[in-house]
Amino acid sequence: MPQVRIIAKNFMDMVAALPAMKLDRLYQNAFICEAILRSLQPLAKKYVIQMCYIEEPITSKSLEEWVLPGGFSKHKVAIDRLLQLRIFSESFDRTTGTSYRMNATFQINLQKLITCGAILPREPMPSNITIRLPSSQELETYALQQWECFLLQLINSAQVERMTNISPSMMRIFQRGLLTQRDKEAPRLTESGFQFLLMDTNAQLWYIIREYISNSEEIGVDPEDLISFMLELSFHETGQAYNMNTLDEIQRNTIKDLEDLGLVKLQQGRKESWFIPTKLATNLSVSLTDSSSRKEGFVMVETNFRMYAYSSSKLHTEILRLFSRVEYQLPNLIVASITKESLYNAFENGITAEQIISFLQQNAHARVAERVPSVPENVTDQIRLWESDLNRVEMTPAHFYDEFPSRDVYEAACDFARECGGLLWEDSKKMRLVVNTEVHLQMREHLRRQK
Amino acid sequence: MAPAPSKLYADDVSLLLVLLDTNPLFWSNCALPFSKFISHVLAFLNAFLRLHQLNQVVVIATGYNSCDYIYDSSSATSGSSGTGKMPVFCSKLLENLEEFVIRDEQLEKGGPGGGIASSLLSGALSMALCYIQRVFRSGPLHPHPRILCLHGSQDGPEQYVAIMNSIFSAQHSMVPIDSCYVGAQNSAFLQQASYITGGVYLKPQLLDGLFQYLSTVYATDLYSRGALQLPKSVGVDFRASCFCHKRTIDMGYICSVCLSIFCKHHKKCSTCGSVFGQQAQSDVASSSNKRKMSDS
Repeated sequence: MPQVRIIAKNFMDMVAALPAMKLDRLYQNAFICEAILRSLQPLAKKYVIQMCYIEEPITSKSLEEWVLPGGFSKHKVAIDRLLQLRIFSESFDRTTGTSYRMNATFQINLQKLITCGAILPREPMPSNITIRLPSSQELETYALQQWECFLLQLINSAQVERMTNISPSMMRIFQRGLLTQRDKEAPRLTESGFQFLLMDTNAQLWYIIREYISNSEEIGVDPEDLISFMLELSFHETGQAYNMNTLDEIQRNTIKDLEDLGLVKLQQGRKESWFIPTKLATNLSVSLTDSSSRKEGFVMVETNFRMYAYSSSKLHTEILRLFSRVEYQLPNLIVASITKESLYNAFENGITAEQIISFLQQNAHARVAERVPSVPENVTDQIRLWESDLNRVEMTPAHFYDEFPSRDVYEAACDFARECGGLLWEDSKKMRLVVNTEVHLQMREHLRRQK
Repeated sequence: MAPAPSKLYADDVSLLLVLLDTNPLFWSNCALPFSKFISHVLAFLNAFLRLHQLNQVVVIATGYNSCDYIYDSSSATSGSSGTGKMPVFCSKLLENLEEFVIRDEQLEKGGPGGGIASSLLSGALSMALCYIQRVFRSGPLHPHPRILCLHGSQDGPEQYVAIMNSIFSAQHSMVPIDSCYVGAQNSAFLQQASYITGGVYLKPQLLDGLFQYLSTVYATDLYSRGALQLPKSVGVDFRASCFCHKRTIDMGYICSVCLSIFCKHHKKCSTCGSVFGQQAQSDVASSSNKRKMSDS
């Protein structure tokens, strides 16, 4: 799914778009340096590690000497990214050409990180104060529940029994771009809304967080603070309790919103309160590069186009309903079938065949995930065929000419249209032709000149 | 030919198996003190782990009597935080390393005396390959594995067959063996290992800058290697050891059936039992075993 990548990268673009001064201030935090290092392309990572202890500027020539002929585009992309994030700064000299130097703050922090490790701004709380911490299993279920509840509310507020505490205005911001609402009708998902639902959790999470951050300015919070807080949060240990007193005012407000997303769990003790980061939070810095943290799949597709989804989640039902006909629902099983009609419906809503197929493959049940292919070939082929069926007829605006005065004029017109590359159809017996609209004006000029 | 690893993580998630030479007989004579060497290596390992959250490091200590796993980042709890002086994983690794060295020394006292100057590279390589096989079989998703030999002591010709077998099995499972040799002469074993498996062999000129060598050359993940020109060794020493006396030889006799190598003419192959004919001329050796080895 190419969309996933675009959205995941967009977050780093947002970081890169920060003004230089703010970026420098971000790099004072070792954890942000690490998160940013991890978000880079493999080649860029290597350059950063390689330059970590080099304080002198390095000429671009000496870097390029290492690059194989086939790898230049990758090299270029890597260097561009480093420059964009201001990890490298460029300088030009007559004699040596372009040279790069590493951002001093970033470099020092990275060196510290490598030799000493880094210290979190807050320690986990001792277990005698916190009453009972949830087990990792409980925490994960909690996180997923919160997240699904949020998603369900996002796409279909009517279906939710338990509303999250996210303010309606915030919700509307998230829904912007994903939903459209015409006057008094129920809101409908837009094309990107459908695509959003088919993405994996991490990509969805980044999308939401990106929206959250870019709207933070409206409520008077500096996006830089939020970015650094989010990235820092991803380095906390899952399942440990951290004291709320270590957070400042803004962070405390943020963390309440994050609880609704399932990133943290808040608990209240007798005197103090604390937050417990969940897997969703600690996976944040992973998901910047790829979606390697896979969740358990639940869908099985049979060669007869029938789909069995072992899930009790309403959200899953909603997602499957996007492109299939749900036949019946048992407490832990959804049985649906992929039909031509259901797929046409999906295509009309702007979902592509590739997205559906990759969704099925990514969420394949553990039993079938090991098989190659995890989704039967006849099903994937048929989905693609049905999609291409829709594109069988191509519309071209055109103009029709007839009643030519003589065969010469007709043939000259034909030749002219052919030269312009706009001849679509000709019938020499009855002296008729059809040309593309684009060349219609030229054609008219030509015919006028003939007279 | 190779059983293609089923499903890998995207791009650059790596599993690095480091074989650490702890032979005291070598380090006592080396220009670079072991303490400095290990600090370079630890910094490198830490940097490697920082590159990707899913990156994994396994360190295998190669002693002169035994070898053992001394660190595995997948079983450690958390690597990101530290006490401020040293990352948590380093202190853990050093602790295990010390225990290992003491154990290794005790084995020497129990066994026959007269220390061998070479480390047990064959054993460490096999352990690394076993670990990789286990990772391959563990599930559908796994990181790209590679082996890094940080070696200093000289080759032990008696390990020739075992090492060659490890090399070929690494080649078969498409695991590159990188080697960084800090000893005095070049190591023929490691040269061959890197050459055959498509890894990098390098003998750093300035040992004080070991970290720079490690981070520039060996930190490159397999994905980026497609775009970069890494150092290539100029000449590879393809000499083999004979199976009868474990001596490194330039010329010798090869069994035409099983390709065993001997330094002297035998009536019968000790490996496969085929009976050889008469020795033709006094010392006309069989065809250059240099070629034989590189082809195999």
